[in-house]
Amino acid sequence: MNAEIYLDYAATAPLDPEVVAVMRECLEREFANPSSQHPAGRRARAVVEAARAQVAARVGAAPQHIVFTSGATEANNLALLGMLSPRGGSRPHLVTSRIEHKSVLDTARALEQAGVAVSYVEADAAGHVVPGSVAQAIRADTVLVSIMHVNNETGVIQDIPAIGALCRERGVRLHVDAAQSIGKLPLTLGKAPIDLCSLTAHKVCGPKGVGALYVAPGVALVPQMHGGEQERGLRAGTLATHQIAGMGRAYELAAPEREGPRLAALRDDLWERLQAIAGVRANGDPARRAPHLLNVTFPGVEGESLRLALRDLAVSAGSACAADSPEASHVLTGMGLSDTLAASSLRFSVGRFTTAAEVERAAERVAAEVARLRALAALAPGWCAA
Amino acid sequence: MEYSSEVVRRFDAPRNAGELPHGTPGLVAGEAEDRTLHVWIRFQLQVIDGAIQAARFAAFGCPHTVAAASLVAERLEGRSVGDVALLDVRALQDDLGVPVEKLGKLLRIEDALTACRRALDRLDTDVKKDD
Repeated sequence: MNAEIYLDYAATAPLDPEVVAVMRECLEREFANPSSQHPAGRRARAVVEAARAQVAARVGAAPQHIVFTSGATEANNLALLGMLSPRGGSRPHLVTSRIEHKSVLDTARALEQAGVAVSYVEADAAGHVVPGSVAQAIRADTVLVSIMHVNNETGVIQDIPAIGALCRERGVRLHVDAAQSIGKLPLTLGKAPIDLCSLTAHKVCGPKGVGALYVAPGVALVPQMHGGEQERGLRAGTLATHQIAGMGRAYELAAPEREGPRLAALRDDLWERLQAIAGVRANGDPARRAPHLLNVTFPGVEGESLRLALRDLAVSAGSACAADSPEASHVLTGMGLSDTLAASSLRFSVGRFTTAAEVERAAERVAAEVARLRALAALAPGWCAA
Repeated sequence: MEYSSEVVRRFDAPRNAGELPHGTPGLVAGEAEDRTLHVWIRFQLQVIDGAIQAARFAAFGCPHTVAAASLVAERLEGRSVGDVALLDVRALQDDLGVPVEKLGKLLRIEDALTACRRALDRLDTDVKKDD
């Protein structure tokens, strides 16, 4: 077995050595509580605020609108629960889509159990959440629309400007989960029609366990954690200075304008090579796809077997956050794929440290194993490939 | 999903995979499937004078299914056709360390072998008619 090739940057990314350096420095020196008023505490506070400025600069927002959290999952929870937790007997309405990340869908289901009405917009066959469908789902009592920027399984870029414009027109807040787009696509939150935006560090070569929620001016959230006034009272708990410093440096290093084209070239090279395999299909609109992500179906190959056969490649069957579930990807079936084809699909995602040689080797390995498994299933009935 | 070393070994290099040549004397085949479990299995047996001379399998399924089908085909060679009915899927489960949630897939192996036995019965009936 050859050394593992890592093509799962959509799940998480290795730490950039420069991020490690900043975090180590912080762990060794700035141990004080950033809320303390003594000099050591004020130094730690300065580290946090410098990181906040770095994060804000990357996403085109003012620093005071960045609220640090433990990651995008917590940010998604804070956005949805903070906007929609039933108050005073009112029963607000949420609009989201069937292809959101589990951290949005599971939170929406929890809200439903608490009495919130939720409408789930379907995606089309190319993986788009059509703005017109969102418009149709908005009701008089709709408080929030939550749509992800880039789908984490297909890489399809949703039309956030159009969805944001119609939300503004209808007086509804818009939450965007940008966990998958940060560092891959430019973001200018201060100018975009976005009220809340979830961010993460670990997908851009930063540390796990830290993220942020962008909260636009005038947006009132109900805090979901209690026990402190940190983060303007929106997120209680001692700030993880070293994690936040790492996130700041990671966001400073992330340069979608420079890195995006390089990732797209690697991704396109991979797809070109995989097309030599008979019957393969890429999932999601190729014209509106984030540069790092490629989702491919290999008809006639059972998915679990394909993943074991390719265990020298770190790739995902779908979202790593749903990898423990035996069910087919809700995103791919939501786009119209059968359970069988959805299970026969792999997500490849390239990143900062991916090389052209790794892409070439990965394509060779995939072609070899698909051929081997298809030979094992010779004479299999048509449904195995449909 | 965790796999036993035996499952991985058989999955990587499955013995008795493939097809016996067309026209092989005494050839019967049987298959079974379950779409909801994403599994299809086919066995071919060459039976001469009541003994299984050769066995091959083909499979669309998970690594446990592939490994179990390979093990069954290998074990059947040299046995009498009567032994086919004695196959115990639960023993396979133990031998390969197959988790309980995969039992439904292994049962399709039993179904495919049952289909082989029925094909064999038909073959015998046809031979007797010819006599």
